[in-house]
Amino acid sequence: MMMLQHGSTQLICLTASSGVPLFTRGASKQLPFSVIGSLNGVHMFGGGQGVVLSCCETEGGGKVVCMVLVLGQDELTNVRNVERLKRDLRSCFSLIDQLLEERQEGIMGNLTYCADSLLPPNPTLLQEAVDGFAQAADSEFSCLIVHGRIAAATEKWWRLAPQEVVLLSALLRSLSASGSASCDYPVFLPQGSPTVAHRLLRFQLLPGADVCVLCGPTPSLHRAESGLVGRFWTPLVETLRDCLAVGERCLPGSVSLRPDVLALLLINRETRRSVSCVRTSTNHLLGDPLLPSKARCWELLKLFYIFSTTRYFTQEEILCALPEERAQRGNTEDFVLGFSHQPLQCYLVTEECKSYGLQTPQHQLFLLIPLSVPTFALRTVATQTLSDIVAATGF
Amino acid sequence: MASANARKCTEKTLCRGQTEEDDAEHEHDSDCESTSSSFNSSDCSNDLEPEWLDDIQKNGELFYLELSEGEEEAALASAANQGVATNHVRFSEKEAEVITEENKKQRCSSWTKGEPPLKRLARILRRKRRPSQRRVGGKDGGKDNSTLSSPPASILKNQPGQRQGVMVQQQQLKEVCVYLNPKRLGGSSTPLSDSGGLLEALLGVVHRPSWSRGQADSAGVRQEERLTVHGLIPNSPAIKCGQILIGDVLVAVDDVDVASENIERVLSCIPGPTQVRLTLETVAQVDRSNASDTSSVHKTKASPPVSQLVRLLWGEDTAELQMSIRHIPHIVMYLSLKLDSASPQDEEEILYKYPVSEASGQLKRVRGIFLTLSDMLENVTGGRILSSSLLLGNQLVHVGYWKQSNNLLVIGLPADRVPLLYLQTVVGDVVRTLKVMYGSLDSAFCKADHAPRLDHFFCLFFQQLIQPSRLRDGSSAPTPDVSGTLFLDGLPAVQWLTLPPEIKVHLWLTWRWILFFLILSLLILEKCLRTFFGLRRLYVILGSCLFYKSYLIANHLPKDDLLDVCLYCQHYCLLPLASEQRVGQLVIWREVFPQQRAKGSSTAPGYSQPQGRHFLLIVGLRHFMQCVLLEAGGAASTALGSPGPDCVYVDQVKATLLQLEVLEAGIEERLNAPSAPCLSCADWFLPAATARDRLDSLASSSPVFSKIASAVKGSSTGNRGRSLFGEKARRSSPQRSLSDSGSEGQMDAGSGSGSSMAPGLSPHSTPDSGRKLGGRRDSLGSGGSDGSGGLFKIPRMKHPNPFYLGTLKKTLTERETEEMYNTMKLTSGAENTLFHYVLMETVQGIFIAPTNREVAQLSGSIHPQLIRNFHHCCLSIRAAFQQSLPARGRRAADRPQGAGWGLGPVKEHGVLFQCKPENWTDQRKPAPTMTYWVIGRMLLEPVPQEFYVCFHDSVAEVPVEMAFRLSFGLAF
Repeated sequence: MMMLQHGSTQLICLTASSGVPLFTRGASKQLPFSVIGSLNGVHMFGGGQGVVLSCCETEGGGKVVCMVLVLGQDELTNVRNVERLKRDLRSCFSLIDQLLEERQEGIMGNLTYCADSLLPPNPTLLQEAVDGFAQAADSEFSCLIVHGRIAAATEKWWRLAPQEVVLLSALLRSLSASGSASCDYPVFLPQGSPTVAHRLLRFQLLPGADVCVLCGPTPSLHRAESGLVGRFWTPLVETLRDCLAVGERCLPGSVSLRPDVLALLLINRETRRSVSCVRTSTNHLLGDPLLPSKARCWELLKLFYIFSTTRYFTQEEILCALPEERAQRGNTEDFVLGFSHQPLQCYLVTEECKSYGLQTPQHQLFLLIPLSVPTFALRTVATQTLSDIVAATGF
Repeated sequence: MASANARKCTEKTLCRGQTEEDDAEHEHDSDCESTSSSFNSSDCSNDLEPEWLDDIQKNGELFYLELSEGEEEAALASAANQGVATNHVRFSEKEAEVITEENKKQRCSSWTKGEPPLKRLARILRRKRRPSQRRVGGKDGGKDNSTLSSPPASILKNQPGQRQGVMVQQQQLKEVCVYLNPKRLGGSSTPLSDSGGLLEALLGVVHRPSWSRGQADSAGVRQEERLTVHGLIPNSPAIKCGQILIGDVLVAVDDVDVASENIERVLSCIPGPTQVRLTLETVAQVDRSNASDTSSVHKTKASPPVSQLVRLLWGEDTAELQMSIRHIPHIVMYLSLKLDSASPQDEEEILYKYPVSEASGQLKRVRGIFLTLSDMLENVTGGRILSSSLLLGNQLVHVGYWKQSNNLLVIGLPADRVPLLYLQTVVGDVVRTLKVMYGSLDSAFCKADHAPRLDHFFCLFFQQLIQPSRLRDGSSAPTPDVSGTLFLDGLPAVQWLTLPPEIKVHLWLTWRWILFFLILSLLILEKCLRTFFGLRRLYVILGSCLFYKSYLIANHLPKDDLLDVCLYCQHYCLLPLASEQRVGQLVIWREVFPQQRAKGSSTAPGYSQPQGRHFLLIVGLRHFMQCVLLEAGGAASTALGSPGPDCVYVDQVKATLLQLEVLEAGIEERLNAPSAPCLSCADWFLPAATARDRLDSLASSSPVFSKIASAVKGSSTGNRGRSLFGEKARRSSPQRSLSDSGSEGQMDAGSGSGSSMAPGLSPHSTPDSGRKLGGRRDSLGSGGSDGSGGLFKIPRMKHPNPFYLGTLKKTLTERETEEMYNTMKLTSGAENTLFHYVLMETVQGIFIAPTNREVAQLSGSIHPQLIRNFHHCCLSIRAAFQQSLPARGRRAADRPQGAGWGLGPVKEHGVLFQCKPENWTDQRKPAPTMTYWVIGRMLLEPVPQEFYVCFHDSVAEVPVEMAFRLSFGLAF
């Protein structure tokens, strides 16, 4: 159950059958028990009558009823010991908090269901290193995370369900935020192995750059750390530094963005990867006070993404991933289905900036553009930006 | 001349008998010349009861709807014309329907003979209010002889054209729907002749009891006898429907079995204009050559049944309509939040609910959820609950809430009918309509005796949203798309018909003139009343608005009152009704509670509007409909109780409408004129199979293009030089070559081959002719006419469809071409790329859009799709405008919104769409595509406007400019 209260999201987890509260996250002040009780009552009563409440809207905010499976499926579905479950769930708090609060700017994965990526200046070197590292660790799943975004990953990693990739990225971000040099963390994959845990090994290479591998019982954390990390990654320190220098722009220097792009989100619909960036005011139209701030740009970009995708652009490939989710999403986002012709592009002119979204069979691009750019030029800006990026990086 | 014309109309449509005719004449004359006799006239109108008098309800309300006779004839004619060409699909649908009905009927009559007919009769009897007043005029019996000989022949002649519906041979039963109006008999007071009776007078069926027995002892005991049709009376409903044949036996009326002994009683139970279903047994005689055909014609299209909508408005049985949507979850409930827990009773908190069905029952059972959520979420989030989405099985239902003091209105609608984005507008409009009709939600729902009327209200509401097509069944209008209805009805505005200046001035003058006399005569009447009876004035006319075929053509109601009136009209579908020549006479009278007046009196501290009661009078005659808002109390005397409509007012308004009918021709001309700005059809931008096909199809539908087509065929060799030139010029550079060839054309004009083609060129490209344009331009006024006029009159030649006209163009002389494309054009660039538009002016509460006819002229297969898509997109665009807007000026209500929006105020929003032809079979080539924009723009200067436009992608447009061009050119 998720509640939006005074602009903050509150997640309350209850056992559906008995209404025992498991945990509450994200709340500045706890909801009264009576409210929680009546929420559960609504759910149970509706269930008895064959009615499922999927969402409510009020004047100020919204409320969504949902559940995220992070812990093992068995444990969640067959709750034997509520107290033990409560204890176990505590390990997920950091992840849940991250999903709720969106602490790190510029991470869109939990919204788009696409892995936030960073396009490194020299991808082949890093790709080889990741592949070799995974092989040496007796695994097929490995990835390199820079600034919380995936810079390189093995092919199998990309073959994980989009939801898993996004969740693993979020988990890795929360783990690396803890500051430890390495860790060994058991994870269940909601799609791949909901009942059997895998080990997620994470090693910090440089501050801001982490490598991880998803493996079975071997190798031990110690052996991997002492033997493998040094062997594969010490030669690449300079490359990694270049990578870190790309920073939040996510795009290598070879891509020259037009000056009139405030922020962009580019999604590759086939690989389920996304690149997003917001121009900092230092390198862009200095001193224009009318331009929205960086934080506001991120917010606007997210809002515009939600706006476009709920109304015009379908997300069929996400929906295919999870049938039960398709049922939920497909039903609440039925507006798209009402169109007799296919929407390709859309734009929005607000008081702060202009937003442009376009969809091709392979890509979705969302742009924020300053008000000074005439509306009829938006389309050119968008198509040119897309072709520039694709031509330069092959994204 | 006007009054003469008007009188003719009266004769034709009303048929109120000679005395009244004289009276009306008298009345008109007296209005104009002498003042003393006007009192007299009103007196007379009290004497002579109008048809609608019986229908006035106890609370003074009146809803009287009578179909015109012309309607039936027109329907007959159109059915005869269309039956073969266009309506195959529907026809076959009808067949299926008929068969099932037959079966059903058979079953009914075989084993449940007792209950349904009795129920039916009871219903009919219930509706019968004042049987004693029904004076049935026996028409002169002399006609009988003639009917026996001639009419049957014509019926038989009709047969071959209608014989498609061959089915169910064995039963020999047929059902025929006829429209009966007992009120039309009212004029004469001659007692029923013994021979004919109602069967003859009302239905037009001649039955001679003696004939069937073969002997003439009619004095003998009348035993139960079958009703054989011995003859038909000319111009009667029976003969008009074309399916009742001499020799048939009338078996049942509306499933009530009839025979000679009870037919008069049954027919006399028909209280007002209605459609009845006759069941006839057909004599199958071998020697009659057409016998088999005759017997097989069951309820063919010849007489399309009165549409469900009309039946619904008449207050007929709605059970069948409700049955057909019973599986779709929808509900309206009015719940009390304050529960008396001391005496808990089952369902006590439900103050009102509709409908009763299984799917809605499921929603009703979970009302606890709605109550809990509305209460709890308001406490937790501090904002009122707006909507919830529920999954019922696999069906998603959106539930909208409206909280009114201690009560909660809950409306549940299936998500595929009403998108969540627009749910609030729908709920808001219902609430406002109810408030206009009843003053407040509490007064609407909390009175027990309102329940049947509310049932009717919500039946209409759900039917319109869930199965609009079925409601319009049997009418000729195209089925409306749900998005379009939602969008256009949801706009806080009424569709305005822009009229050519001369008609506009004429209309304005005439209308004002008539209203002036209307008011004058009322003043005189009032004076008389005061003098003779010491009464004060009854009502003050606050304003009125005039509709023609669902378009507003004149208005001097304040905007909010106009919207109130319009909401009422929309809810009862009065506007589309009037557009289809359905209305013979419409009189509506009810008390209303205009929202602005109710509010204004409390908020404005200095000046408070006089507290009075308000009444809405709607009078419709054929295509015209006038809504008058009256006030009692305040300046006029306070109304006591629930006064019914006053004949004087009704007659005066009716007189206004009759006089206005002289303008009908002018308005019709405007409706038939090519649209301005001219529109393009989406299909033109998709290259179709072959040019020749297109040409032929065009040629068949348009006389002008047939000319062109023949020119192409005939002159393809003769004009080779020119065509080569044309080709070459076209290829080099479109813009330049066009203007070049234009000048070429000027020189060439001397040869003048066939420049007569220019005016009224084509219904397809809808160009305005140059001549008309000149007139319009002149009327635009001084300042802007050169600069902005230039925007309309495009000096260069344009072709609305670049793809096929390019090939035709070469055979036209350049002069023709120039005139042809001298049109008012909204889009910039060389080609006319405008598909559709809606421009709403929020201050006056009106919007303009291409009329239905303009859209129909474009035809095409993709174009209707495109318009549907346009409307659907507009829902989203307008929702974005609304969500980002502060609460002011919202029609629905005063609720703040947009806190969850975040994107900030939206000024402009556009979406680019791509369409492909359906059923593209060619595997080798990819389907051709066409892309177009749908853009919405909110303008605050110079007047608040919302502009929605749809145009082809080839030219980048600036919507603001287009809106300016449009609003300037059309000058509201």
